[in-house]
Amino acid sequence: MAAPNHVDMPDPLEPHALIEGKHTDKTINDSLLHHVWRGAGKGWWLLFGVAVSMLGLLGVALTWTLYKGIGTWGNNIPVGWAFGIINFVWWIGIGHAGTLISAILLLFQQKWRTSINRFAEAMTLFAVICALLFPLIHTGRPWFAAYWLMPYPSVQGIWPQFKSPLTWDVFAVSTYFTISLLFWFLGLVPDLAALRDSSPSKTKRMIYGLFAMGWRGSGRHWAEYKWAYVLLAGLSTPLVLSVHTIVSFDFAVSVIPGWHTTIFPPYFVAGAVFSGFAMVLTWMLPARHFLGLKHVVTPKHLENMAKVMLVTGMMVTYGYVMEHFIAWYSGNPYEAGQFFLVRWRGPMAPVFWLMVTCNCVVPQLYWSKRVRHSVPMLWVTSILINVGMWCERFNIVVTSLHRDFIPSKWENYAPTWVDICLFIGTIGLFSTLFLLFLKFVPAVALTEVKELRHELAHDPTVDSAGETH
Amino acid sequence: MSSGHGGFVPRRYVVAEFADGAALLSGTKQVREGGYKDLDTHTPYPLHGLEDALGLKRPKIPTIVLCGAIAGAFIAYSMIYFMNVLDWPINIGNRPPHSPPANIPITFELAILLAGGSSFFGFFTLAKLPRPYHPIFESENFTRASIDAFFLSVELPEDGDADKALAAIRAAGAIGVELVTESER
Repeated sequence: MAAPNHVDMPDPLEPHALIEGKHTDKTINDSLLHHVWRGAGKGWWLLFGVAVSMLGLLGVALTWTLYKGIGTWGNNIPVGWAFGIINFVWWIGIGHAGTLISAILLLFQQKWRTSINRFAEAMTLFAVICALLFPLIHTGRPWFAAYWLMPYPSVQGIWPQFKSPLTWDVFAVSTYFTISLLFWFLGLVPDLAALRDSSPSKTKRMIYGLFAMGWRGSGRHWAEYKWAYVLLAGLSTPLVLSVHTIVSFDFAVSVIPGWHTTIFPPYFVAGAVFSGFAMVLTWMLPARHFLGLKHVVTPKHLENMAKVMLVTGMMVTYGYVMEHFIAWYSGNPYEAGQFFLVRWRGPMAPVFWLMVTCNCVVPQLYWSKRVRHSVPMLWVTSILINVGMWCERFNIVVTSLHRDFIPSKWENYAPTWVDICLFIGTIGLFSTLFLLFLKFVPAVALTEVKELRHELAHDPTVDSAGETH
Repeated sequence: MSSGHGGFVPRRYVVAEFADGAALLSGTKQVREGGYKDLDTHTPYPLHGLEDALGLKRPKIPTIVLCGAIAGAFIAYSMIYFMNVLDWPINIGNRPPHSPPANIPITFELAILLAGGSSFFGFFTLAKLPRPYHPIFESENFTRASIDAFFLSVELPEDGDADKALAAIRAAGAIGVELVTESER
């Protein structure tokens, strides 16, 4: 097959490998744990300092909100919902990519998920923590929230209203957090055992040993473990779809022009996956460089993530087009006014056009293979997509509310410093938790990568790119 | 050994290392067919065909998870029905107190919650974990079981002949065999 004048250059049509270079279980183990055992570098401390400072802002804003009340926020009738719910939906959406990568791609047997799932699952957990903060504090007195939200027998004798999507939300989001945590920890147990067994010191061995729960790689355990893991994945898949569907019901079930639409559930789910993948890339690109993970997070992974963003970006675009089409087709003047006047030309129009640019135009760059393979381009576009997805939620919430049926009710909206600090603060909370995760836990699921290596090396029907022949 | 310690009889295990996964699977099968019971393998990742080599029965987790899902759905629906229909019906916009479509989301979520919970807690219960100490950890080599080595462990009966077992396991292709004894604590 090889021509006599064969030049030793990589074939451009040959897919990139899922694991680059020659490895044994031992080298994979050591290379993936290296970043845990080496001390925190200057870069980590610098980022951690920034993250903790932002977390401090959260502390200030939270204290002020609890001390003065939620009147310190910018939302007021008619814009009764604003930053609180925008940020809630934004963070929940970001979390969804983690579940998608770990659960849905597992069920579809996409081998490339293995290198990024642990990372993305951690992101899910931390994003959901940030998301949960907003509905809790928007009640004004979060210490009472449990009494109002949870169905428990009390002297008030009254129960939650189960016909309200807001009550569904409580169950959906708390279930989502719990299941994500269990799934993440179950996947982590064999890795924690590997950490325990390669600990450089006795203290570390004790601490990781505590979390490893005495795992000894028993075949009897693996037999049940595989089922427990795959079933949790199977359960998470409809769960993630239901969570964002229910989040979209918070809007779609009402009658506000711009909210009352049946396209919301699928369009919210696509948007969630879109922004989640963008957030994975925003963190993964620096992490794979600084933590030395380039041999397991290869251009193949980056390319696949870019393709998922291209597809979901176009689904989101389709959602925007359909909203406009239905606004026109329904003949409802309020709907048409909301989309063609208020969103395009109203006071909040810049946010709308920023959203269109970031969510509809920017992902089109991913048609180009050069962009999909360029780390700086991927990083910048991933941040733009996160900005765009935040603008989308701003558009849905604030733009729809500030111009509804009666012109005498129209009012403008501006966030206060408390709103902005809360938002920046949750970014700080997310970053702090994430940096701690990168410091103490292997960022890549090493047990699964070892299994993948074994499969790629020993299964003749699977090539190095994980494609089955 | 047990004198004066309240009848403590240490458990004994033969811990044998195999060169790779395939050798472990065939070795395990051979030892099991040689009449040894209480076998277990210890590998860094699950191997294809482990269940056959160890002669395991069908896993129990799927049944447990199914029960969890059914229980969750049942608890959720009956909770909503009790609260909004029997105990305290509220007329909001003349909607019927029992409105099945509105009950679906929470019924679904609680089914997932209990099914996922039973998968997680069911696994740890079946595996008898957490269990920080196990006699097999007495083996110095065993730390590699979670990293890159493939082990077979055989628990010997109280009156079992250790030398015979060591020889049998070595004959099954083990590259290193070791007898470990539980320490009293």
